[in-house]
Amino acid sequence: MTAVIEKPSVRTEPRSRFTEVWRVVRLHALTPSVFFGIPWIILGTAWLVMIVIGMIAGAAGADTEKMGEGMRYSWAVLSPQWYLVVVGVQAIGLTMSFALGFGATRRDFWLGTSAMFGIVSLLNAVAIATLVQLEKLTDGWWLNIAMFDALWYGQNGWLVDFYTTLALQLFVLFIGASVTTVYLRWRMRGMLTLALGAIALILGFVAIATFTESWPAIFEWFGGIGIVGVFTVVLGLAVGCAIGGYLVIRRATPR
Amino acid sequence: MTRTVVRASGLTKRYGSFTAVDAVDFTLEENRIYGLLGRNGAGKTTVMQMLTGQIFPNDGELEVFGRTPAEHADVLRRLCFIAESQRYPDAFHASHVLKAAPWFFGNWDAGFAARLVDDFRLPLNRPIKKLSRGQLSAVGVVVGLASRAPLTFFDEPYLGLDAVARQIFYDRLLADYAAHPRTIVLSTHLIDEVANLLEHLLIIDQGRILLDRDADEVRGSATTVAGGRAAVESFVADRAVIGREGIGGLASVTIDGRLDQADRVRAAELGLELAPVSLQQLIVHMTGADLRADSTEQEVAA
Repeated sequence: MTAVIEKPSVRTEPRSRFTEVWRVVRLHALTPSVFFGIPWIILGTAWLVMIVIGMIAGAAGADTEKMGEGMRYSWAVLSPQWYLVVVGVQAIGLTMSFALGFGATRRDFWLGTSAMFGIVSLLNAVAIATLVQLEKLTDGWWLNIAMFDALWYGQNGWLVDFYTTLALQLFVLFIGASVTTVYLRWRMRGMLTLALGAIALILGFVAIATFTESWPAIFEWFGGIGIVGVFTVVLGLAVGCAIGGYLVIRRATPR
Repeated sequence: MTRTVVRASGLTKRYGSFTAVDAVDFTLEENRIYGLLGRNGAGKTTVMQMLTGQIFPNDGELEVFGRTPAEHADVLRRLCFIAESQRYPDAFHASHVLKAAPWFFGNWDAGFAARLVDDFRLPLNRPIKKLSRGQLSAVGVVVGLASRAPLTFFDEPYLGLDAVARQIFYDRLLADYAAHPRTIVLSTHLIDEVANLLEHLLIIDQGRILLDRDADEVRGSATTVAGGRAAVESFVADRAVIGREGIGGLASVTIDGRLDQADRVRAAELGLELAPVSLQQLIVHMTGADLRADSTEQEVAA
């Protein structure tokens, strides 16, 4: 054995937390199709279908003004959201196991994943809110189509559309991810407990609201807080999932 | 002057009522190649998962590079764990794995990784889900070798690898280990193939460590004595017997412990044949059903 000076067994040189978290973001971004490509292919396809419908309706001489009114109730603008729940699930279910094998801590993995969710939500919110304005500006892509300018969109300006999309997007990603952390930590027993707990909570709420005859007051309250208020509740739920996921993942064990 | 990189005492992992690892004590020294050997379900993977912070022990103490591994970035940075059934993100190709590796392994050698990819003929741009079992193992082997982590774990690294690929793995591992010493823990079923690679053996069975000894000491430590039943029995009478077979008047008994010159002369006088026991046979004897029966007999006798 060569004589080497005994080094302390724990290296204590500082390494910024940022590097450790950022590499998780890069890990998620390695295959951009997952977070960006596929959601926008889904949205683009929905848009193309709407365009073709608009062209057919226009060529047939139908009342496209009325068609546009009807399209306001279409959920096409929300079409990628179901897929993004799955993205949230897989980000934890598959990528976490890989990152842990590569020596990431659960804490850094969750922080990096949250950062990735934040970036994706921010970009999508900017894009959707801007597309709503573009659609209004071009009178429904010159065909009276209402794909983005639908549901609650297009009524309160760019900023509200941006805020509501951001809140919804964060909620969709974090609910998938945080529920998956419950599975990784407690497996099926945890999932059943979570599901039964959620059902009991909802039934309890319905029962209380019904017995105290407070439904009108509840609807009034939701009407009172408006679109922005409702999506602030959604954002609150997203933050709740993010914090809950952080607490649960710290002792989670990937398969 | 060697340093201890892993210190485990009373380390225990339970899954419900099943105890996968039962209060084991062992240490791993720096810059050695360890073989973690045992049957399926013996607890090899569980031990590795605890050492790399993948799962949390129920009991006992565990220090890796001086502290608990789980959730400690400064420990985990120096580990590389190649799991037998590593899961990869859905859309990943092998090229993505190699691209991410240097972000996580400080000593990553991209040139070495590229040479290994050539050696194993690993397709980089095919989805990982589409790779064969052998190719999947090759991804792990490339990462495990090129990461040059101070403490590297290979859990059954060559499932599905062909004989040529396995030989390449042994050759590259030895050459790179000589140039860049580090601690390597290898769990495997193919014991004789790696026997010459291993410097220290940990044999685990039913969650307990049966043997923790230098490979050189173990090699040739056991001997099979064959011959007429009566002669064999008299020869092995006061020795530790770890295996026993017999047909008619002939018996073949495997004993633990080295034989000295006097023993050999005596065996020759009795007309007995002495044969060295390979590592694999030794482990079969130690962890096979024979031992269970024998050890209870010995306990009863004692």
